[in-house]
Amino acid sequence: MDEIFKALADPTRRELLDRLFQRDGQSLSVLEERLPMSRFGVMKHLKVLEEAGLVTTQKRGREKLHFLNPVPIRLIHDRWVGKYAQPWASALSELKKDIESEEKR
Amino acid sequence: MNEEQAYAVVGGRGSMTVFEIYIKTTPERLWEAITSEEMRARYSFGVGTVSDWTPGSEYKAEVPGVIEIASGENVEVDPPRRLVQSFTALWSEDVKKEGTSRVTWEIEPVGSSCRLRVTHDQLGEDANNELYGGWPMILSGLKTLLETGEDLDTPGSLRYASA
Repeated sequence: MDEIFKALADPTRRELLDRLFQRDGQSLSVLEERLPMSRFGVMKHLKVLEEAGLVTTQKRGREKLHFLNPVPIRLIHDRWVGKYAQPWASALSELKKDIESEEKR
Repeated sequence: MNEEQAYAVVGGRGSMTVFEIYIKTTPERLWEAITSEEMRARYSFGVGTVSDWTPGSEYKAEVPGVIEIASGENVEVDPPRRLVQSFTALWSEDVKKEGTSRVTWEIEPVGSSCRLRVTHDQLGEDANNELYGGWPMILSGLKTLLETGEDLDTPGSLRYASA
């Protein structure tokens, strides 16, 4: 668990997670675009994220694709947030759904 | 490099998600938890999955008369290491429109634990995120069940259990 918090305690690494959240399964070449950092720097950050289990990779041809793995964050949620959210988180998400479906109409 | 080519396209169609979790258990117990109807229900919104788990067999995840979650074929069955399933979501009209995707379960022993990797791919471009959005909760519940014998009872995690 220390590794997860350490990995999250850096704005570049959170930015990388944001990008994978927007679009999963990206290569290093795509991820390093628009980051003011060397390819090596981005690689180092991805390695920290991978070691924390927040990013998983799969090889495809010569490229390595990176995927956001949200499961460790879910474990943190279930450990400390779950019981507080119980009574009204579901009511809130229902409310959100109602509002959003009304907005769509 | 063509930017589009850098994204995951597997099996010729659509997008792909990967979920990973380490669970302190044996591959055999993990396989049992994935394929036992009763155990499955305890970490999958209270919904069991029924199949005879032979290669080419069908499976169905439902609470009869209450909710149908998914159905499909067990394309590859290699206990206790690898299970490949076709996946058709059934819980709403919206998700039914998404058609058939693929779910691959891979179990790898690591020390006294197992790494479980669930790859959900052959999803349509911009697939409805409900299709794969349940995996983190399911996998967290599976870990809790195998490591503590308890049910994970965070909001929604057992929503059909008492039905």
